Amino acid sequence: MTYKTDLPVMLPMKRREAEPFLSLKMWYILPIALLAILGPNLVVAQSTPESQSPIAVLLNWAPLLLKGFIFNLVISVSAMALGTFVGAILGLGQISLFAPTRHSSWFVTQFFRNAPWLVLLFFAMFLLPFEINLFGFKIPFPDWFKAILGLSLPVMANVSEIVRGAVRSLPSGQWEAAESLAYTRLQTLWLIILPQCVKRMLPPWMNLYSILTMATVLASIVGVNEVMTLTGQALASEGGRPDLLAPFYGFVLLLFFIYCYPIAKFTVWLETKYAVIS
Amino acid sequence: MEFVFEWFRTLYQETGINLPFLYDEYDRNRMIDGFFTTIWLSLVCLFFSVIIGIIGAWLQGSAFKWTRRIVNGYIQLFRNTPPLVQLYFFYFAIGTLLPRVENDWGGQSPILGSFAWAAISLSFFAGAFNVEIFRSGIEAVPKSTVEAAEALGFSKLQIYRDITLPLAFRVVLPALNNNLVNLVKTTTLAYAIAVPEMLYEANQIWSDNVNVTEMMFFLLLAYFVLVGVLVGGMNRWERAMKIPGYGG
Amino acid sequence: MNLKTLATTLVVSALSISAASADILDTIKERGKLIVGTKADYKPYGFLDTSGAIIGIEPDLARDVAEKLGVEIEFVPVVSSNRMQFLEQGKIDLMIATMTDKPDRREIVLIPDPNYYSSGTNILALKSLGLKEWEDLRGKPVCGIQGAFYNKATSQNYGAEIVAFKGTAEAYSALKGGNCAAFVYDDSAIVAKAAEPEWAEYEMPLQTIDDAPWGLAVALGEDNFAQLMSDMIIDWHKTGRILELETKWGVTNTPFAQAMHDKYK
Repeated sequence: MTYKTDLPVMLPMKRREAEPFLSLKMWYILPIALLAILGPNLVVAQSTPESQSPIAVLLNWAPLLLKGFIFNLVISVSAMALGTFVGAILGLGQISLFAPTRHSSWFVTQFFRNAPWLVLLFFAMFLLPFEINLFGFKIPFPDWFKAILGLSLPVMANVSEIVRGAVRSLPSGQWEAAESLAYTRLQTLWLIILPQCVKRMLPPWMNLYSILTMATVLASIVGVNEVMTLTGQALASEGGRPDLLAPFYGFVLLLFFIYCYPIAKFTVWLETKYAVIS
Repeated sequence: MEFVFEWFRTLYQETGINLPFLYDEYDRNRMIDGFFTTIWLSLVCLFFSVIIGIIGAWLQGSAFKWTRRIVNGYIQLFRNTPPLVQLYFFYFAIGTLLPRVENDWGGQSPILGSFAWAAISLSFFAGAFNVEIFRSGIEAVPKSTVEAAEALGFSKLQIYRDITLPLAFRVVLPALNNNLVNLVKTTTLAYAIAVPEMLYEANQIWSDNVNVTEMMFFLLLAYFVLVGVLVGGMNRWERAMKIPGYGG
Repeated sequence: MNLKTLATTLVVSALSISAASADILDTIKERGKLIVGTKADYKPYGFLDTSGAIIGIEPDLARDVAEKLGVEIEFVPVVSSNRMQFLEQGKIDLMIATMTDKPDRREIVLIPDPNYYSSGTNILALKSLGLKEWEDLRGKPVCGIQGAFYNKATSQNYGAEIVAFKGTAEAYSALKGGNCAAFVYDDSAIVAKAAEPEWAEYEMPLQTIDDAPWGLAVALGEDNFAQLMSDMIIDWHKTGRILELETKWGVTNTPFAQAMHDKYK
């Protein structure tokens, strides 16, 4: 015998109610911009009068830093594409009926999910050869390509989990219904399950992309010529002036914020749009 | 013990597999220090990021528009910029703006060192995610429960502390754990500002011994085990704290 | 299935490492381009201009080599912790990156004789600290650069706590920010730094130790290239090219460069 009440113990958990899409208010950016621009002027008194003002120095270097940032974006898009492709296969491997495939896919996924991104990047950077000899052809492996490979490893593992999670989230009745209609397993997956999964996978996938974009600066630690590396080298070429640090790093923060914030908003909007009504 | 260490020295001489953190005392101490620094940094960040999450989620329910706005601004700022750049910004840019104190070697040093800045920066980074996680848990607590508490004369703080938060905590645990595991992995970034954690020490060792391959495999394995143990423990805790019949 | 592909890739990549190329000089000429690893954060030996190009004393030397070979030049920025790996992997043909010539390094890369430059280890520290001896560093935090050989020596012999950063910009900032009592680095760079007006309160107070020659390097086994580089270095010393470059980039002529010029003149 069960007692019914209209007072639930807990409500189903929802993601936070989103603000309307693209409500990119100026004041969000304002704090960083202010910090970046005013910060150095507070300490500018310390530097000698003949040196250029921090803002002027930053403007000199801005075109180069922007070029570096575009390189970050190229790395992020390529790593995402590669990671998604391999990760999708791995994710389907995780729901395979063939136990060895299932277990090995699970292990690979867990391994690369547990390893820190930076360690994986170091791994790819130092242990991959600079070129591969394949049937007499030399395929070069430049730094940026290794960075892409290194970053796509954790992406792959995360995509694998997203795919598995989405397939698992569908009621098992769907599989059984399809089976009774004489669909093969592959047909069921391709025609019934996966189309429903896409909507569920999109928001976490976008989220992952955002995280990946922010992780591209890690490539600076292993020496790829992206925006953080260039920032460090620019600072060194200016002679290590401490008053330049805040504007330069502030500028990099700003670049990423301008790129990632709309993506985050769009993701939240997608999430509300595709929210599964239960 | 010495016997085992000597075995690894022989292994190096015989096969070229160089694991100096096992046979060289100096390198061994570095690696052990690095391991404990990683653990300590993780614990400090876990603690403060959860505190930030709890306070932030409470402030987000504030009646003042500007309080909510500032909390939202903080979340957006920290979620949408790379943690590595945040770390540099905190350590190099903000660190130099703070007042200095006399130190024991007769110079002027900043109040906060690299470890403190890494802890602050990573706590704020993970905290931004925790605020949203706790907030979603709080919203899962039915209004009627809060109203009932109000009717019983609980104050606002009491309701949050004794009613809402304990209930919310149990439903957000999986999401929270996921974020905390990420946080532990993110502590590797502290390497960039020379916090002597595991990755930093490993890097020092491979710079001195030119044995990148061995150190890389060791690091991967070490983090795999460390994070694996953490994930296992968290999963057990999740099962124990699960609200029966909630969330399928 | 995925594991299998993964395994295959690993095996393929493992095999290809062992397959060494022929004479690198042929490869360079075939490619029409010499790839040189230099520092990009080591003013004035190798640093960036605002267009992103690497300039400085060592890039100028590298240009001489490319000119001699009649090929184009490409610079790859390296840091102390990856420069030998890059050469080992074949990512760069030649490394001229402020590297101190050490016996254990000669096991990993091929360093042609004679040495082209020299510097020792010293520190940059606040004058007000009044440091007199290396022993004074005991127990104090000392900034360093990741991958520099004297980090271990400074901490083991003199008991300093090394705080190592990736690049010089970070280390200089940390020193100025008071995070370290001193910055242990090559004396050649420190002399230049202490002369700058912004660093007027800083000095190079200690006796230079480990004064050691710098070696440029090629990959192990590239004897022809090494021979060519030996001739190049002797030629640089003979013609006073190094002294000339020092003057060009604003460094006072070092005793080593002068002595080598006198020796080969």
